[in-house]
Amino acid sequence: MAALKIAIRSLLRRKSRMILIAALVVFGTLLLVVGTTLTRSAAIASQASIIHHFTGDFIVYAARSNEIPSPFSFNTPLPVVPELDKVTAFLSAQAEVEAVVPFAQNYSLISVPAKTGTIDLPFIFYAVDPGTYAQTFRNVKMVEGDFFTSGPGILISRDRQEHYLKRYGIRLSVGQPITLIGLGDGGGVNALRATVRGVFEPLYYANVFNYINFMDAASYSQVYNFTGVASGSLPSALEKGLEAASRSEEAVFALAGSDTGSIDTSKLKSEAVSGYTMVAVRLKSHDTMETVRARLAAQGFPVKTARWDEASSFFARIASGIQAFIYFATALIFLVVAFIFMNTLIINITERTAEIGTMRALGGERSFIRAIFLGETLFLNVASALAGMIVSLALVLVFQRTGLPLPETVAMYLVGGGALPMVLSAGPFLVAFVVVVGVSILATLLPVRVATRITPLAAMNDR
Amino acid sequence: MSLVQLMDVKKHYMLGDTRVDALRGISLEVEKGEFLAIAGPSGSGKSTILNMIGCIDNPTDGKVFIDGTEVEHLTDTQLTRYRRSKIGFIFQSFNLIPVLNVYENIEFPLLLRRSLSRKERDRMVMRFVEEVGLADRLKNKPNELSGGQRQRVAIARALVTSPLIILADEPTANLDSVTGHKIVELMKTINEVDKTTLIFSTHDTHIMEHARRVVQLHDGTVAGDEARG
Repeated sequence: MAALKIAIRSLLRRKSRMILIAALVVFGTLLLVVGTTLTRSAAIASQASIIHHFTGDFIVYAARSNEIPSPFSFNTPLPVVPELDKVTAFLSAQAEVEAVVPFAQNYSLISVPAKTGTIDLPFIFYAVDPGTYAQTFRNVKMVEGDFFTSGPGILISRDRQEHYLKRYGIRLSVGQPITLIGLGDGGGVNALRATVRGVFEPLYYANVFNYINFMDAASYSQVYNFTGVASGSLPSALEKGLEAASRSEEAVFALAGSDTGSIDTSKLKSEAVSGYTMVAVRLKSHDTMETVRARLAAQGFPVKTARWDEASSFFARIASGIQAFIYFATALIFLVVAFIFMNTLIINITERTAEIGTMRALGGERSFIRAIFLGETLFLNVASALAGMIVSLALVLVFQRTGLPLPETVAMYLVGGGALPMVLSAGPFLVAFVVVVGVSILATLLPVRVATRITPLAAMNDR
Repeated sequence: MSLVQLMDVKKHYMLGDTRVDALRGISLEVEKGEFLAIAGPSGSGKSTILNMIGCIDNPTDGKVFIDGTEVEHLTDTQLTRYRRSKIGFIFQSFNLIPVLNVYENIEFPLLLRRSLSRKERDRMVMRFVEEVGLADRLKNKPNELSGGQRQRVAIARALVTSPLIILADEPTANLDSVTGHKIVELMKTINEVDKTTLIFSTHDTHIMEHARRVVQLHDGTVAGDEARG
């Protein structure tokens, strides 16, 4: 107690230096607590946003696909999901599954009359079963028309509508007839008369979804003529060659030059193909994801699964990236705090050499001197950390109620848009406390070593 | 055996490249209850002798016995505990702990002995507060006291543990002559009443007149050892 009393009073005696250190510790704690809470909240919000609006808990896709599917990236269209009916039937029968939503991503052209003849507008879209999709993923706000309740066709985003007008001088409006042109894998071209059914605005991740439109599944199937040949009705060598050709360009050429046997057309069986390239699976509880994935894998369907975060492109990683940055910034601040604190303590010790020597002469052991300086450090830093935590708690509570307003672009990448709802949890506070105590002890090691080496002779030399 | 016994004690240290011989073979015995002044000019070795007796410095050569114990072989912790229980210090610059008030400064050595209750500590502190006449200054911090008052606090602090020996290194050097005389009178009274052995260093001839024995040092050797009535 005597050591603590001396420690606290010595701190109060050197107010200006200590206020500077306390301010740095308060700031560091604030950054650590609010920063960690923010990134944790962002990670939670980002996960919820992606799972509830785009990917479900996991996505099922064709086993022969070389790419992991993502509703956020539009590269080469993926192969269609084989045995879709069986896969969806199996998944729908699982008690843990809330919804099974097949969909596809693809490109086509919209051919519309123009002053100079016709013009082909590029059209990136999700092909969806309107009922299932809209019921599960409420990720758009209709600004005109409806979500295919008035019939099949296409929906265009407001952004694309404005883009077509600006770039091509074409204004697509609800009810307007258009021609959809689908370019098949094999180079064939299909055309389908369709209607613009609505204009929408994306509610989340508008930076990506402004470019994306919708087409209903029936129109999609017609445009792309999704009718195939049933597995098993082709010669096995040809089947194998086609399988390989779907994986690499070299295999296409190899197939062309190889003897795959002749096709017996009388034995060919046609098969309706949905054209869906992905199946989003939403679960009642995210905790059951691995169980359901494993159960599906055990069925032996020619499909694979990707977790929501694997399927979310880089969006799921943004929060952890920001978290890493915040940890780095905080570490830097605490490094500065530790350095300043260490130097301040050494200056204090130099100024208090005679005092320390006196205490040693009067019978104070080294442990007593150590206790004084550890007490000073811990008292100042823990008190400052607590102050920082109180300020942080107040901020987190406020933003828990109102949501943290973020710059539009940051919000868009972090949580898909809007204010970030802060999630209060003890973790960041505990981390901050442990960090402050740890840094305090580390910063005191050298000064304490200096202090405990002061001999009682120093008291005699104070003249 | 004498309370303090110095046997051919030598001490030298290096000041840059120069060797300084602070003590050149001092032999000295001090009996219990003595009131001894170690006198001599600056650099004669007064403080060095006090440091040896106070167990805060080791001789380069020779032996130091305090109350029958040869202190050379004690560890740092043993020496600290030895000082705490057997020796009281009065410093030239008072050396009070600036953040503690008068009461707390006097109480400080007792706090280092964790075995004492608050009540016992209070009784012991108040006894010496009365003795040095500072009962009305208990709450004052050192910077609110005069030099004489500060030295009285230091005396009370040295006495409070009832040590075998009190060492005072030029206790009047930072005081005016009137206050200096009062302080030495107080030390003398304590020596007479409590029979505490008191060894103090001084170069002030007026102050050394109060001592019952004066050991004169010159260039690290004993130049004279005179008992007085």
